Amino acid sequence: MLKDVIESVLPLVQKPARYTGGELNSVVKNKDNVDIRFAFCFPDTYEIGMSHLGMKILYSLINSKDNYWCERVFAPDTDMEEIMREKDIPLFALESRDALKDFDVVGFTLQYELSYTNVLNMLNLAKIPLRSKDRGNSLDIPIIVAGGPCVCNPEPLADFIDAFQIGEGEEMMLEFLELLEKAKKENKSRQEFLEEAAKIEGIYVPSLYQVSYNEDGTIASVTATNGAPERVNKRVVADLDSIFYPEKFVVPFVEVVHDRVVHEIFRGCIRGCRFCQAGFWYRPIREKCVETISKQSKRLACTSGYDELSLCSLSTSDYTKITELLEELLGWTIPDKINVSLPSLRIDNFSDELKEKLALVRRSGLTFAAEAGTQRLRDVINKNISEEEILSTCRKAFVGGWTAVKLYFMIGLPTETDDDVIGINQLSQKVVNEFYNNPDKPKGKGCTVSAGVSSFVPKPCTPFQWAPMDTKEELKRKQQLLLESCTTKKITFRFHDTELTFLEGVFARGDRKLCDVIEAAYNNGCTFDSWDDKINLQGWYDAFEKCGIDTAFYTNRERSYEEILPWDHINSGISKSFLMRENEKAKKAETTKHCRQQCAGCGSNKLNGGKCDALSENMV
Amino acid sequence: MRSVRIWFNKKDTAKYISHLDMTRCMTRAFRRTDIPLWYTEGFNPHPYLVFGLSLPLGVEALREPLDIRLNDDNYPMERVVEQLNSVMVPGMEFLEIAEPVHKALEIFKGEYSVEIPTSSPKELCEKIKYTVENETITFEKKTKKKTFKTINVSEHLSDFRAVYHEDKVMLYFNLPAGNDLTINPVSFCNKLFEMIGEENILHRITRHRLLMKDGTEFR
Repeated sequence: MLKDVIESVLPLVQKPARYTGGELNSVVKNKDNVDIRFAFCFPDTYEIGMSHLGMKILYSLINSKDNYWCERVFAPDTDMEEIMREKDIPLFALESRDALKDFDVVGFTLQYELSYTNVLNMLNLAKIPLRSKDRGNSLDIPIIVAGGPCVCNPEPLADFIDAFQIGEGEEMMLEFLELLEKAKKENKSRQEFLEEAAKIEGIYVPSLYQVSYNEDGTIASVTATNGAPERVNKRVVADLDSIFYPEKFVVPFVEVVHDRVVHEIFRGCIRGCRFCQAGFWYRPIREKCVETISKQSKRLACTSGYDELSLCSLSTSDYTKITELLEELLGWTIPDKINVSLPSLRIDNFSDELKEKLALVRRSGLTFAAEAGTQRLRDVINKNISEEEILSTCRKAFVGGWTAVKLYFMIGLPTETDDDVIGINQLSQKVVNEFYNNPDKPKGKGCTVSAGVSSFVPKPCTPFQWAPMDTKEELKRKQQLLLESCTTKKITFRFHDTELTFLEGVFARGDRKLCDVIEAAYNNGCTFDSWDDKINLQGWYDAFEKCGIDTAFYTNRERSYEEILPWDHINSGISKSFLMRENEKAKKAETTKHCRQQCAGCGSNKLNGGKCDALSENMV
Repeated sequence: MRSVRIWFNKKDTAKYISHLDMTRCMTRAFRRTDIPLWYTEGFNPHPYLVFGLSLPLGVEALREPLDIRLNDDNYPMERVVEQLNSVMVPGMEFLEIAEPVHKALEIFKGEYSVEIPTSSPKELCEKIKYTVENETITFEKKTKKKTFKTINVSEHLSDFRAVYHEDKVMLYFNLPAGNDLTINPVSFCNKLFEMIGEENILHRITRHRLLMKDGTEFR
């Protein structure tokens, strides 16, 4: 019945293939033979969600069990949502077109803070009560879970999610579902199940924690109840070679953002850039071996028909055997007409050998993440690249025929002065000068430097988690200052919207008091907050006012080391004393060596039985 | 190098794969097989794949041509169809492979049917017949220059028949489809249903065959 209604509205919406399912390698099972049904929700549109590697991994993992069925769900685009509400069509999963209410688990992946209202909207479209406390005490209403990088501070969504999966899901997910399968068979109550689930390493059940506040709004205490652990350890898998990796990717019909074979070659990052949450959160370092990567990628290319393979990690050229890996991959990708792309290359560790190999893969744009305009500020953030390294790489690129360079910077970094801001323009200008200093520059061709300038948001689990964030006004002033310092049309600056940055700043380090704000904003019509053209700022301002929330408390305030931070009971493995040490070094513009030169003692290997691939190498 | 024409159908959810997405979808299907597809020899080689005629989004088809080139003249023809069908998405099936008889430019019109489920088939059938026979059906079509052009469907519609059954009405007709003029059956149906006051009536359009100017089948 629901199937027919959905069928009847498909001709009325843009790109209906986003809602039909039936893509190559999508998994359809007979629901009579299935014990657990899992709806994997990405709180954004199909094109964005289908690009996400984590979903591909967990989708295949859950479906590898005969009696579990994982299906995909995305946020319907505005036109589809309108029709769904008008015709009373509940949110449905693509494979079976069944309503989400029929599922045992509804899981969300939280990739960015500005997707939170979409989570609420999807629950609402699914006719599932928004708040955990309103979902009764049986397991009839689906258990709502969430994972992804944002759960390193899950508190702003604490009232809506029954259980968070903190860290890597490959093992934790199946343990969680096996427990649920058992609980269903034994007719356990929701509460009993959740209390039991909280004992699985990595599972955080927010309703089992009581938070009390001081008069100034800071946290007085967080108390675990009903046998839940005091601190929830982030889950990590021990070794990437033996862990599950899909043999098939669902291949979309419509064009999605990343439409190719993706292979994660290692987790974690040796660099320790102080602003970078991912660089710390995904530690410890674990590398996959060349043979595994090659074998699994080849299999994926065969089953999908993709003609592009992208290696994925936080810093591809830091993979210890990158040259060997490329040699192995190019051995079969060139005859099979597959392009290999390597995003996230650092400019300071290109060997001549690597360059030779790179010349064989299709040439893409030239992008450098310089992050800051002056050496002093790059030292503050521990981005260990020098101006000379940037300029010499550009010089070589220009000699090689490139004419356009992209640079990435941030403004609003701790200790930043106006000189640092203007430094962004000066560095960009020096890159332009390199082009014109090249005696063999192509005739009649100019050079363009496009500088993406985003605004810094302090994030949990980084040395800057205590730092004040610049106000919107200050960020706007700095953007203006930068624009005014620039006198050439060869450089173009692209800025991030300061309003979106501000919202991200509030929620990144938010606490449970923000749950009310998110719900109020949602009720004011806020969804798709990360979309420039869909954001409803007034809805947010009204929500903050209604809930009596002073946003400066979350964004512009410097925290003391003594303060209990909202995410302190989530153990990322990175010790607080390490983060403090790094923060103090930042204030003095002192750099820290990368993990392979010298272990800085971040502590993340403790979650992995003392193992870290950067460390073991160091000891040899 | 050898040019061949493969015939395929496109049904059910596959009808929502847009023409733009079809090339990508087909290319990937070929890449999942060992069929020696011929690639263009330019700076950025891509496989040679040419559809006879685009199929509007949401329209099913029983027999559509796709021209390809094979690198290996000795590759067994029947294996092409067999291989493709083993890796194809649900809703699309390859039927036959043959040497092209006609040139794609010779395609002149499409033969369509429309199935309309209804509880009052006789009444609906009469209404449709009356409108098609007595009124001029026109609609606005966006041109490549983004201006609008009025298309007079009645002038170009041929072999129209409306038949009612127990629980549905079936329409059969031909509309121009080809290089000179193409009339989208979706636009025609939408206009027709609007004129009889049945804007959102559920219906299913199928393209059966492609015909040439003399009315014989394109092969």
